[in-house]
Amino acid sequence: MSVAHPDLSVEIAGLSLQNPIMSASGTFGYGTEYAEYLDLSKLGAIVTKAVTLEPREGNPPPRVRETPAGMLNAIGLQNPGAEVFIREKLPELRAFGVPVIANISGRSVDEFARLAEMLSIEGVDALEVNISCPNVEHEGMTFGVDCEMTGRLTEAVCAATDLPVIVKLSPNVTDITVIARAAEEAGADALSLINTLLGMSIDVERRRPHLGNVTGGLSGPAVRPVAVRMVYEVSRAVDLPLIGMGGVMCASDALELILAGATAVAVGTANFVEPATMEAIIRGLADYCRRHQVVAIAELVGAVAR
Amino acid sequence: MPRAHATLISRERVTEGHYLLTLDCAEVAQNARPGQFVHLRVGDGTDPLLRRPLSIMLSQPDRREVQILVRTVGRGTGIVATHDEGTRYDLLGPLGSGWSIPQGDEPVLLVAGGIGVAPLIFLADSTRMADPQPYVRAIFGGLTTESLVCWTEFAARCDEFIAVTEDGSTGETGLVTDVLAPELDRDPPVRVYACGPDGMLAAVARICAEAGVPCEVSMEQWMGCGVGACLGCAIPSSAGGYVRVCTEGPVFDATQIDWERLMSR
Repeated sequence: MSVAHPDLSVEIAGLSLQNPIMSASGTFGYGTEYAEYLDLSKLGAIVTKAVTLEPREGNPPPRVRETPAGMLNAIGLQNPGAEVFIREKLPELRAFGVPVIANISGRSVDEFARLAEMLSIEGVDALEVNISCPNVEHEGMTFGVDCEMTGRLTEAVCAATDLPVIVKLSPNVTDITVIARAAEEAGADALSLINTLLGMSIDVERRRPHLGNVTGGLSGPAVRPVAVRMVYEVSRAVDLPLIGMGGVMCASDALELILAGATAVAVGTANFVEPATMEAIIRGLADYCRRHQVVAIAELVGAVAR
Repeated sequence: MPRAHATLISRERVTEGHYLLTLDCAEVAQNARPGQFVHLRVGDGTDPLLRRPLSIMLSQPDRREVQILVRTVGRGTGIVATHDEGTRYDLLGPLGSGWSIPQGDEPVLLVAGGIGVAPLIFLADSTRMADPQPYVRAIFGGLTTESLVCWTEFAARCDEFIAVTEDGSTGETGLVTDVLAPELDRDPPVRVYACGPDGMLAAVARICAEAGVPCEVSMEQWMGCGVGACLGCAIPSSAGGYVRVCTEGPVFDATQIDWERLMSR
């Protein structure tokens, strides 16, 4: 490697990624939906839409609503369940030849543990534990806003699998570093942050919420400064590698998260705006490295001046 | 790959809040089937952020042209309505399912409400090139005469045409559904094709089911990705769960939709 050919590879919880860019769960389906629009083999990893033990129907429409420089969503974890995921989606995903990170969600510690066990199979390279979905009651965020629950859940998942365990944190908390430490102490191998910010918008003409679920998760460029701040805080509070996400649209946005302390960066809402965004970001990271005489992108992790 | 770049050739104000865009876009013009849509990026910035799904009203492959009817309902479409000739657009498309194409000279009935006329003009247009030509009847309804957007373009492509307005300013007075049942009774078509507001489509679906006439509907919903990944545009399915307007739709057999759940909000 040299300045002309910078090394974009990074390591997260024992996973070697050819570059730090991956899809954010829930924005990229199971990869195949985007196969016509970009070369999936170029990505650092693919993070799947959340998988649950049983199939989920999801929330009533409308499920999405645009907001200034962002969007609200309340999909409600619609997915075909773990069995169909393993039988139908996983073989297709593996064909792209990049690490597959399965995002898992459940209603109880036991459900998470059973899922972790079921998905500890060839073709799944890591688990991302969704303790932060804001759109389903008695699930996700219920765990992620409580230290003790975060710890218990992380411990149970770690005990159920040999795969690297990535815990996905919610920004809807008073102090995210407290939750991050709880996950670290319980054995998490990495953390990803941030999930969406809980929000709401109202149709004033009809005097009702825009979303069928009333509230939803805010994503997109509007939330990016919150993500940068939280990645920065968490990187100083724990020793785990971080996957940063929140409104990344371009290489410069990804670099903000990397400089704040993220080893890898997930891209979500931007995929809807421009399906080839991740490829453009990967090229942009290489350009940045060349411009700044950076031999390996890993040098930039947490390199913001303090 | 279903993506393309387009240049705005002309933007014509049709009626209050409705604009007809003519785009130079060979890729979409060559590949589009009646009932499909394009997912158009309004600008390079982040506000508005998401693409806008817009029905294709006409496609003329020989001229590389695509026509799209836009109603200004919010920020995104409001901005498109101000764009000058020469504006470049980034499009995903053509996307989604299309209408089933009428076979032979079988009689069909097209039912449009307001801006819902756009994909039906494309369907009617495609029948004019068929040999033998299907016999195309149409019912076009709106609040007022102004709501009957592009009615001359629609009527010109149909063999029989009934206009209906709620205020009686043009054609018959009432709703399209007031005219539909007697029309089905008078001379049953082999299929009804409908596009308009959800309430109208629910009523059309019910009337067709009662008359035993197959019906296809083109649905609208807020959309995220447009390619089936985000599940944002889901609507209730009669088989339980939800179907995606962007991928399984926008055109559905009316029996695929759970109208009760759809209208319960």
